[in-house]
Amino acid sequence: MHDIEKQIIKLLQSTPNLTEDQLSHETKLSMDQIRRGVEWLRQKSLADVTDTTNLSYSLGKNGLDALKNGLPERRLVNLVKDAPKTFDEIRSNLHGPDFNAAIAHAKKNDWINIEKTDTGSKISLKQEPTESQDEHAISLIDKAQKPRLDLVKSLMERPDFIIKHEEKTKTVSLSETGKHIDLEKLESGAIDVEADVPHVHAARIHPLKDTINEIRETFVHLGFTEINGNLSQSSFWNFDALFTPQDHPARELQDTFYLKDLNAKQLATPTQIKNVSNAHKKGWRYYWDIQEARRMVLRTHTTCVTIKHLADKKPDEARIFSLGRVFRNEKLSFKHLAEFNQVEGVVVGKHMTLRDLMGIQKEFYRKIGLTKVKFWPTFFPYTEPSLQSMVYNEKLGKWIELFGMGIFRPEVTKPLGITKPVLAWGGGIERIAMLKFGVDDVREFYNNNLSWLRTATKCQ
Amino acid sequence: MPVVELSLSRLEKLIGKNTNKKQILDSLPFLGLDIESLGRNVVRVEYSPNRPDYSTDFGIALGLQGILGISKGMPRLNIRKKGNYEIKVDSSTSRIRPFVTGIIARNGSLDDEAVKQIINMQEDLHFGLGRKRKKSSIGVHDLDRISFPLKYTTTSRDHRFVPLNSTKESSISEILRDSEVGRDYGSILGQSAKVPIITDAKGQTISFPPIINAALTTVTTKTKNILVEVTGIDKQSAEDMLSVVVAILQGAGFQFSQLKVSGSKNSTPNFAPRSIVFDANPVNKILGLTISNSMLVSCLKKCRLDAVRKGKKIQCTIPRYRFDIFGGMDIVEEIALGYGIDNLKPAWPASVHIGEKNTTSEKLDSISRLMTGFGFMETLNSTLTSEQILYEMTNKDSSQIISVISSKSQEHTILRDSILPGLLENLSKNIHETYPQKFFETGIVFSKGSPIKETTNLACVSASEETNFSEMKSVLQSLFRIGFNIKCETKTLSEHALFTQGRVAEIIVGKKTVGYIGELDSKVLENFRIRTKAVAFEIKLNGLIFD
Repeated sequence: MHDIEKQIIKLLQSTPNLTEDQLSHETKLSMDQIRRGVEWLRQKSLADVTDTTNLSYSLGKNGLDALKNGLPERRLVNLVKDAPKTFDEIRSNLHGPDFNAAIAHAKKNDWINIEKTDTGSKISLKQEPTESQDEHAISLIDKAQKPRLDLVKSLMERPDFIIKHEEKTKTVSLSETGKHIDLEKLESGAIDVEADVPHVHAARIHPLKDTINEIRETFVHLGFTEINGNLSQSSFWNFDALFTPQDHPARELQDTFYLKDLNAKQLATPTQIKNVSNAHKKGWRYYWDIQEARRMVLRTHTTCVTIKHLADKKPDEARIFSLGRVFRNEKLSFKHLAEFNQVEGVVVGKHMTLRDLMGIQKEFYRKIGLTKVKFWPTFFPYTEPSLQSMVYNEKLGKWIELFGMGIFRPEVTKPLGITKPVLAWGGGIERIAMLKFGVDDVREFYNNNLSWLRTATKCQ
Repeated sequence: MPVVELSLSRLEKLIGKNTNKKQILDSLPFLGLDIESLGRNVVRVEYSPNRPDYSTDFGIALGLQGILGISKGMPRLNIRKKGNYEIKVDSSTSRIRPFVTGIIARNGSLDDEAVKQIINMQEDLHFGLGRKRKKSSIGVHDLDRISFPLKYTTTSRDHRFVPLNSTKESSISEILRDSEVGRDYGSILGQSAKVPIITDAKGQTISFPPIINAALTTVTTKTKNILVEVTGIDKQSAEDMLSVVVAILQGAGFQFSQLKVSGSKNSTPNFAPRSIVFDANPVNKILGLTISNSMLVSCLKKCRLDAVRKGKKIQCTIPRYRFDIFGGMDIVEEIALGYGIDNLKPAWPASVHIGEKNTTSEKLDSISRLMTGFGFMETLNSTLTSEQILYEMTNKDSSQIISVISSKSQEHTILRDSILPGLLENLSKNIHETYPQKFFETGIVFSKGSPIKETTNLACVSASEETNFSEMKSVLQSLFRIGFNIKCETKTLSEHALFTQGRVAEIIVGKKTVGYIGELDSKVLENFRIRTKAVAFEIKLNGLIFD
């Protein structure tokens, strides 16, 4: 609050209604400063302003003359005080308009009698004249006192006796809030820290991206290196290399997005193709069709990226992860999307165990703030043994299924020349983001509803 | 994952002594069965598609008995060889559905619930293992209505019989045309003039595989003796299927007699278990345990397998219906289950690995940070979009369109070749929100290549009454100067479908065109119902800030 405002408030708190003039006078601030200060306070609803018009009078030419010499009617009665006088005798003392005015008002005041005689009309005193209303008004105005409106009424009708002045003034008073402002606090430099303030909208990273970034960071902290791969993949890497038979239901159009009229030209190395083909023939006993493996799909998991990396690099030891969009031909609902994000971590090492896999998992969850974790057996087509992790959600009061994990089947690793155990784990990221942002419809992440993006709150 | 509905009181009875509902519910997850919903007595569980024996409470009871330690080891299977049950295969079936197998199950009783469970099993086997009946399919019949020997042969489409759930005779053509199963599965038989059929010694039709049984042999709760036949295009898969049925019917209390199968490469099924001999060391190593051989044997028995110590090794015997066990690693999983996943303590493997983000991820992070600093909100759109948004509303050329086949969602039918239309769609959905609105998105876009090319783009849009070309050019130039020390120039472009003529430019970096910038065309804005001005750019990041 500006010092001008403070001064005005202080004054009005002791003297409730003051005009701007008065304020200026009392505060020694200029009128201009007062006007600005009052306007600021008014905009903050701290002060109210009432407009009033003030009437005042001063004496005109005739009025000043009357003050000096008496009103014409007074001069008239002074002339006839001792003896009656004729009009002509009087006219030699009261000229022109004064004569007429004198007669009219003296009569109105009931001061004189007029007699008609042979020598003309004669005026005589009727009674001892007291102070008339007009005289009283003039003396009040002279003393700068404010006469009542009815008192000046007749004088107003007489020419040039008084001048009327109209003056508009602004009377300033404090609003209820203004009355209760604690100036002492303000004096100390304090402000109203409890007052409501408007919301501001931050431009921000998308909430889902925020979770993705957190998960990526967590993997990096755990010693994992990120690998990337295409969203469009041949069926070979998405399915065949992972020991999923070509007639498996997961490979049907109703579950997987196939790209229209697009087939992979370069699949894999001839050895990789031959070995994968043999594994299928041996394990599933059917005619393995390379044309089927060429069909391009939108990857159904990030595992295709992982397995290709392992098949090409054949590391003896590695900690890698792959994160990105995956696709399922699903009907959209509050819990299903056609396109979502998945992360998958892989640990390769001669001495890796199932318990290590569980430990890495637990540490991962701890880092993202999920502390109650348990494991159940489950089934995945390309891992054995396979587990799923259950995480307790305090807010929902129940166990939620999160990442799956397992050790890659020898039927997957052997044909691709991978000889060391491969621990793999991962799952959908939206599910974690839903917990973090308290979202119960997964579609919200892709609605790009600005009011949600502006206000979404991280709750975990 | 498939689901089965179980009655807890029935499970208690099937498991036998010393169990209660709580124990059952606590144990189900440790068999790999996820509790989907729970009522007072009814529990619905999800089971793995590789364990069709868990499609019934008979199979699940068997598993629970093991894990609870009530009954361990492999259930003995007795099949009487005596009896004149036989099916002869005609060679004409070899061109359409070459294999048949089966079993005689006697002296059982099936109440309503048991019938329900067996129907669930049949559906599961047809869908999964049978690949929607194509690979193999089952028929269950009332044995007492059938005269042996049976014949598996082919017949013409004029052949008539009374199908299941019907009282009047129909021809095969009529069944395929008029019934639901006929329409659903008729395509398995293709255009073949001859279709498979099973007839009995009296010439009565008992089954028209893989479509429907005859009404004659309908199984009811009064049925005591049954015939199960499985036909298919793969012998082993048909026998796999039959072995699951046998395991479940054994659980339901039936006794078995052999059905002799002969003719045209067919043979009588063999239910003999197989054995795997393994070394305890690698098993302990992969589990991270040091458990004794006798403990390993006990773990396997809890999983309803048989096991004995053979010197330093262990011999595990696997019943015929556990064909999900391929080799050593599957044995490892059985041991882990028998040991109890709960008893496995998580460990932390020491590592010298230093984690690293991918360069692309790092660079995209920088872009996000700078763009939000410039006041742009990040949005996320699917890479799968619709023709309407990508081409129709933007007036863009759609000749290089990349579509997916049979999408279930109208909004996800083609792959995006640019990000900007998605951002316009975002503006369109937010017209009731306060302005200015500024969005950006980074992500993958697709184009035809060999066979397909994926690149990463950045698109930004700013919408408000005050926005203009200069604002966007400032953002563009500052972003690349501050973030990557790259100088972006703009060069007049005569026209572009999305932008206003005279207010559009190519973005040039080192003499190469890398994107477009301009004020959005009023018609395009109108198509998206956007009522303010909008300026945007889209730029390809590959080759610019990463490979």
